[in-house]
Amino acid sequence: MAIALGLTLTLSFLTLWATTGKPLEATWQLLTYPWQAATPLTQWGKALNPAMYLSLIALGLSVSYRANVWNIGAEGQFAMGAIVAFGAWLLFGSPTGAWFLPLLLLAGTLGGMMWAGIPAALRAHLNTNELLIGLMLVYIGAQFLFYLSNGPWETAAAQKPVPTQTEELASALRFTGIFDKGPKLHWGLPWGLLAYLGVSLVLGLTLLGYRLSVAQASSRAARFAGFNPKVTIWIAFMVSGGLAGLAGAIFLSGDVGVLVDQSNFLQNYGFATIIVAFLGRLHPMGILLAGLALGYLDGGASWLQAKRLGDDSIAGIIQAIALFSTLGTALVVTHKVRWR
Amino acid sequence: MLISILVDLLNFATPLLIAATGILIVEKSGVLNLGVEGLMIVGALSGYMVAGQLHSCAAPSFAGGCLMGGIVPLWAYGTALLAAGLVGAAFSCLFALLVLILRANQIATGLGLSILGLSLTNAIGSGGYDLSGVPLAGLVPAEWIAASDLRRLAAMNMLTFMSLALLPLMLWFLSRTRAGLILRAVGENHGSAHTLGYPVRRLRFFAVLFGGFMCAVAGAYMALALNAPSWREGITNGFGWLALALILFGTWRPLRVLLGGLLFGLTISLGPRVQLIDGLPGWVDTLLLPGLPYILPIIVLALISWDANMIRRNQPGSLGQSFNT
Repeated sequence: MAIALGLTLTLSFLTLWATTGKPLEATWQLLTYPWQAATPLTQWGKALNPAMYLSLIALGLSVSYRANVWNIGAEGQFAMGAIVAFGAWLLFGSPTGAWFLPLLLLAGTLGGMMWAGIPAALRAHLNTNELLIGLMLVYIGAQFLFYLSNGPWETAAAQKPVPTQTEELASALRFTGIFDKGPKLHWGLPWGLLAYLGVSLVLGLTLLGYRLSVAQASSRAARFAGFNPKVTIWIAFMVSGGLAGLAGAIFLSGDVGVLVDQSNFLQNYGFATIIVAFLGRLHPMGILLAGLALGYLDGGASWLQAKRLGDDSIAGIIQAIALFSTLGTALVVTHKVRWR
Repeated sequence: MLISILVDLLNFATPLLIAATGILIVEKSGVLNLGVEGLMIVGALSGYMVAGQLHSCAAPSFAGGCLMGGIVPLWAYGTALLAAGLVGAAFSCLFALLVLILRANQIATGLGLSILGLSLTNAIGSGGYDLSGVPLAGLVPAEWIAASDLRRLAAMNMLTFMSLALLPLMLWFLSRTRAGLILRAVGENHGSAHTLGYPVRRLRFFAVLFGGFMCAVAGAYMALALNAPSWREGITNGFGWLALALILFGTWRPLRVLLGGLLFGLTISLGPRVQLIDGLPGWVDTLLLPGLPYILPIIVLALISWDANMIRRNQPGSLGQSFNT
């Protein structure tokens, strides 16, 4: 663990050196940006909101990976969560009361589950490779965002915004800021954490979690224990898809308020969470820490870009470095190194 | 009309077939590399940058750019594709190190490689180098392209014709040569192959390098030859994932993979044509047709897996498992 951390920090420092030319300043800015900014709360929001989305989705993915089910389409399930949440709001005649908020989140969860249901059904009943199905559904979900915001759900306002988007959610359904009126560091954060805690407890304390652990350790043992592998696949996809969809609905309500095309809506959380899940070694506590670290990094990268110290894609590079350091040194943890 | 569809079909199928050839060899050796998308985009950017440096330019500007336009000579294209391939092979060394020597999880490492490739090219292609506005000519003179459909077919670039020969060549390699049979043995059961004295890890290393080379060449083709040479972030547009799906579609059989590549190419080339038809409902125009290249693999993979024996018979036995000596 310490080796992986040291390796990550060293390589990240070298990457910052190579891409910015001013490694010390870039590192200092990256580590302390919430204190540097004129509006620290906004910066904390940029760090902690992504941290919550990343942890929440990654917790779901860890459930699926522990059961040897490879759901890598969380990006699509996130998009579909936001779409179905918004669609449910339209279906109910665009209510303006706050009473609809729980239903909005529920609809998002169901949307994610629905989208995850496709690879789940194909894998469980036809034994199709769920990896690629999930990935293809990411592209289709993204296209759905474009279609809806440019077609049937396009805003009726006379002054069309660029890029084209839908109506804005009623203000009572938007998560407001916890400390100030602004949208950053919003009430979606505690709600997301609550869901995180709930699911972690269910996994840790109930038969369901045990069932997944057995499936991870040995699929043969799981079968002897009477656990139907098809049901395990469905559970894995429903939990991971549902959490990704919930994250999408919270993102819709707290951060954007509208549906826009994919490049302006999707933040790559669905892919970064795969890294979070593995950095956290598929354990709820580890995932929370990894999510915090990568969320903080996410905000820092856009801060660096705003300060013209580099491109915000530095976040993706450092994420990959951290993943490779963790995966590469896992062998050293379980085995003894002997030079010969 | 038919010929122009055929031209487009072959143009779109080319990167898929080149990448699929590389992936086929990697998977036949028992390694699952999901970093194809990353390898392709790294190849696309490096091929584009090398071609930009080499092309003859009327008024050179910074970073290999060109103010007045210019033509890329054929040898420069060859060099750019080769350079891209070598960069891809070097990039896949990272995967080989993690998976073959450090025995990391192949799925997670491959996905990480894709994320790294996409972020790395975003960082280099947008910040450090200003590559926009470097005009490169196509592989064939422009006056040919403007000519009739038949001339277009004749003027298609060499890479397309070569890509059609690649998979039949792989069929011959895998079933008729000693090296190919050993490679398959390693992928089928690495324990037995090791017992027989074959260098499992070394063979897999070479297979991964070859796969990285081919995927990067496919990416460079997308940047240099598929349209007017251009670079933008995420230019490979999921073709790497499509190429991976292609292998499953072909159940690891070279000729079926070739067939699948042509089918995928047809789907991609039909989209823009159907969109021209008047009076299409909006959901066909902006949802179904752009999504079709991704919807088709889902349907096809579901249909293929209906027959469980087909996959069981053809899938390399040790695919995705790490090898411990």
